[in-house]
Amino acid sequence: MTHPMQTVREFILGRNPGLAEVSDDLDLIDSRAINSLAFVEFLFLLEELTGEPIDPEDVAVDDFRTVTAIEARFFDRKAAR
Amino acid sequence: MAVREVEPIVLDLNRLENLAESGYYNPYTMFDWPDAIDPGQPWMSESLTTLAGTPMWDGLTRAQQLALTRFEAINFFSLNIHGIRELMSEVVMRIHERPYADVSEFLHHFIGEENEHMWFFAQFCLRYGGKLYPTQPSLTADSVDHLSPVARELVVFARILIFEEIVDHYNAHMATDRTLPEIAREINRVHHQDESRHVAFGRMIFTNLLGQVARRDPDEVPVVAEYLEKYLQYSIATLYNPAAYRDAGIPDPLALRRRALEHPARVAAHDEVLKRTRKFLSRSGVGRELLP
Repeated sequence: MTHPMQTVREFILGRNPGLAEVSDDLDLIDSRAINSLAFVEFLFLLEELTGEPIDPEDVAVDDFRTVTAIEARFFDRKAAR
Repeated sequence: MAVREVEPIVLDLNRLENLAESGYYNPYTMFDWPDAIDPGQPWMSESLTTLAGTPMWDGLTRAQQLALTRFEAINFFSLNIHGIRELMSEVVMRIHERPYADVSEFLHHFIGEENEHMWFFAQFCLRYGGKLYPTQPSLTADSVDHLSPVARELVVFARILIFEEIVDHYNAHMATDRTLPEIAREINRVHHQDESRHVAFGRMIFTNLLGQVARRDPDEVPVVAEYLEKYLQYSIATLYNPAAYRDAGIPDPLALRRRALEHPARVAAHDEVLKRTRKFLSRSGVGRELLP
């Protein structure tokens, strides 16, 4: 089974053909790898991967800033429970 | 908003202004709102639902199919409401700024009519659906920060135009769909009638602002083309709301949404919805053929 973070990286690469790789600390917001137009799709992907709804009120832009931040916010917490 | 960098926009809008005046109606009294809608009738044309033409639609019970038409109608009207809120706020902020002085007369009609549309869409949702679906979450980081001020102005009006053209595709079809309740047909018909003027205006102002972008920096045109193509795809995806699938009693809504969006029958349906707009963008010199 594909690791969920691999799916996250594939989503980002799929939407940014100019990007060769997604490093752990690439600023996804400033680089516009994830922008407003991709954001809803990205939230739905995370909901599907985590199996849990995400309340948009409950997240901040920094939760999506890097792959490291995404993993910590949406996957490590789930694993720790 | 850097309007100083936008040249004054002069358009011949007499015909559109005259039509707005002669076609003026009172939306608050013109509709005959029934107390309830026959539960056996679809609220949205079945061929326009997001599962139409796929085995996913055929796999639903009739009750689920009808429920999907109800919740997708509420989603469609909710998208209209949120889209109107966004475009109205943008236009209100510009209406008496210097570059827009010459078109402010039409913009007054535009804002007034959009407010009325928002009212009747909300009436339908609240009376018969008991709710609106919330607006799509968005990032505070803007996706147009990389564009010049003039191109950002273009994008504001391009988003309005694209939104209106997509919605109008649905309105035009549902305005004459005899399977729908009369009130649903009427709302779609009235909206379609007003939007034809708004689309005509939208194309004129788009052409003007695109000309300004191209004169200032022709290299920015493909960058705008890329943004617009992404915006078209984003707009189509908003029609696929997992909450509507969930409300219609369809299991696993996120996976269903993903499968539906990728299904060849749906990809063909998206191309059909976007055909007119893509043709206009290509003819204007800012179509997706410019993309790398």
